Amino acid sequence: MSETILTANGITKLFPGVTALDNVDFDLKKGEVHILVGENGAGKSTLAKVLLGAYIPEGGEIKLEGQPVSLKSAKDGLAHGIAAVYQEFTLVPYLNVSQNIFLNREPKNKVGLVDHKKMEKDAAELLKSLNCDYIDVKAYVKTLSVAEQQMVEIAKALSFKPKILVFDEPTATLSEREVESLFERIHKLKKDGIGIIYVSHRMQEFHYIGDRITVLRDGKKIGTVGINEVSDSGLVSMMVGRDISQVFKRTPNQYKGEVLRTEGLCDKAGRVKDISIVLNKGEIVGLAGLVGAGRTEFARLIFGIDSASKGKIYVNGEEIHSHSPVTVVKKGLGMVCEDRKRHGLALKDSVAWNIMAVSLKKHFPKHIISQKKMIKIAEEYKEKLRIATPDVYRECRFLSGGNQQKVVLAKWLSADADILIFDEPTRGIDVGAKMEIYALMDELTQQGKSILMISSEMPEILGMSDRIYVMREGRIVNECARSEFSADDIGAYMLGIGGGKHGA
Amino acid sequence: MALKSGKPAKAVRFVKDIPPVLWIVAAMMIVFSVFSPSYFEFSNIQNIVVQSVPLMLVAFAQTMVILTEGVDLSLGSQVSLATVLWVWFMQMGMPFYAAALLTVMCTVLFGAINGFIIGKWRVPPFIITLGMQNILYSVALLITKGASIYYANKIFQVISGTMILGFPLIVWITVLMFAVVWVILYHTRMGARVFGLGGNAEALVLAGVNVVKPTVFVYAFAGLLTAMSGLLTTCRLESGQPIVGQGWEFQAVAATLLGGTSFKEGKGGIGGTILGVLLITILKNGLNLVHLPSIYLNAIMGTIILAAIVIDSTIRRMKQN
Repeated sequence: MSETILTANGITKLFPGVTALDNVDFDLKKGEVHILVGENGAGKSTLAKVLLGAYIPEGGEIKLEGQPVSLKSAKDGLAHGIAAVYQEFTLVPYLNVSQNIFLNREPKNKVGLVDHKKMEKDAAELLKSLNCDYIDVKAYVKTLSVAEQQMVEIAKALSFKPKILVFDEPTATLSEREVESLFERIHKLKKDGIGIIYVSHRMQEFHYIGDRITVLRDGKKIGTVGINEVSDSGLVSMMVGRDISQVFKRTPNQYKGEVLRTEGLCDKAGRVKDISIVLNKGEIVGLAGLVGAGRTEFARLIFGIDSASKGKIYVNGEEIHSHSPVTVVKKGLGMVCEDRKRHGLALKDSVAWNIMAVSLKKHFPKHIISQKKMIKIAEEYKEKLRIATPDVYRECRFLSGGNQQKVVLAKWLSADADILIFDEPTRGIDVGAKMEIYALMDELTQQGKSILMISSEMPEILGMSDRIYVMREGRIVNECARSEFSADDIGAYMLGIGGGKHGA
Repeated sequence: MALKSGKPAKAVRFVKDIPPVLWIVAAMMIVFSVFSPSYFEFSNIQNIVVQSVPLMLVAFAQTMVILTEGVDLSLGSQVSLATVLWVWFMQMGMPFYAAALLTVMCTVLFGAINGFIIGKWRVPPFIITLGMQNILYSVALLITKGASIYYANKIFQVISGTMILGFPLIVWITVLMFAVVWVILYHTRMGARVFGLGGNAEALVLAGVNVVKPTVFVYAFAGLLTAMSGLLTTCRLESGQPIVGQGWEFQAVAATLLGGTSFKEGKGGIGGTILGVLLITILKNGLNLVHLPSIYLNAIMGTIILAAIVIDSTIRRMKQN
């Protein structure tokens, strides 16, 4: 039971500008579930990928059953018996279940064609070992439910006869019942002596399946503890604790009055349930929650990208009818999207064009565009927001993440947006640029603008928000003011271990 | 567990799986038969089948390419060049089989070049194959100086005239090629990679596949099919025609889409494409039978193909909900 099969010492992984893993140690025993936990960007997925061979670390050493190994690709990892169940499925939609399980390892018959019969039989056996014989091995993967696809993914991983199995956030897309059955399977795999690395931040699950937990933060290992040696709040502190006072600057202001209100807002897909919030002038309201809690979906509803099935939205006291991004932008809303490269910017256009993208009509009501005036306006924002670019003609893709984010912001400011929705405003941005964005947010509220900030980063939520709403599974589960909140409380609400119905 | 994969009875599934295009084909045939009393006579059916051959082969090629989320705009020019090359090589004194083999090798090479550039440097297929189209048309026109070229050989009549079970040899050659494509797509590793390229290329990489190889294969194999189409066309026309295949690549795209293959996710297959090609051929044939002046032909055909695609996708969407 306690035989160690994997040891990793001093793993260091660098990405351009970021130390994703800094001298991390890790070990895994036979028949154990070892949980890797940490905030977004803490390095947990990176560590998993290094152990799988998908990333090559800059430093450190990996030993399998005492023997040092060098993994150069995921294929190497598989050859050494390390398989993964990825968060994003690696299945081909219009191949059937058995074809997917044995992709590129299809058995051949005497004439060299694929032996479908043998392949289907083997696939059926694998699925049976997972108690999943209700899955038709001849069905297109596309026709399966997400949970079934996950089982296929697990069967695929098991077909390599692994000694070590990595699960990367396996429950992110599953319903509660499906999660339970997944855990049953994991228990069974444990009994078969497979070592399991389980990447997750759903704390309520840990006690069901975990043996040990390793906490990562900012690419460093904070500690490894036995599942019974640590309290939930102790774990939250390990995950989020840091000195946040220097990074964040929040100046109180005197503005009053409500600018945005939603009443009982629901979406059609059931990912947003009955949400009522208020945003006041000059305020930063944090919307905390885990990935998948429904925050982005909620923002999309407000912005009119998706249509609500129920509920009302008021901007400056006026109810919004005929709701669409066009009408909303006219009312002074702006959204800084989570994925700025896809939704926020035209990467191959210049800084100037991007800044003017929403406000062309405002600045050039006669449809004729004056280059000179456009450049002048763009230059103004470049100065105002301290966008670091040699000139405004530069294509946005050459800018750093932080400066790209400023361009997105400039776009909305030049369109006179007063109510800004920030969705993960500092994702993928280094600390220095983060601080600048925070300073800008503070400045904007000094000018009477209001910000609704969606964030999964606890320090950001705690450091910048005047008020916080916590969302979980599509609902607001808590609301608190600046004076009332602590990291432990918010974290506990996010994870559903405090005040919620899912207490572990 | 409440997890059950949807698995209706086999008969129900069979009816549901019939692509809507089949109903459109049937409806069209009925309309044409009203205008043309001899419509359902065997000679006309035979005609339709024979006429469908060259496009059929091109459409098989296009379907395979589209399954990989690509598109090949050089297919029509490959057909044209193949007709020219075969005749040209024979004019130079080669025996017909050597000339044919060399022709096939040439188009396969052009296809492989397409595939290599697309797979290796991840260039959009649209651009590469459009460039190839221009090159190949130029070559064909250069060789022929812009006119048709001729060469007399018995092999033409043998292939287009020999009748087996009521259909000429060219039809049976097409059937054979269909079988080859079928086996490749559904019974070889390469086939799984073709579906994988379009469906989830990342999955292929993680499974240890070098994705350049299947890409090269698909475009090169398309070259083989267009060569076959070109050779059979030459047999029917007994000449090399530098622009005979113009626009066939788009008709092949239409046939592929009508047959239920999608530009996304590697969805679809080769079976439906046959129906798509038959629809287009029946349309051409029918419009001829009702003595429509040929200047209207393209406009009407384009309109009907557009309408068919709209109807088809509407029916599909209704089925999904």
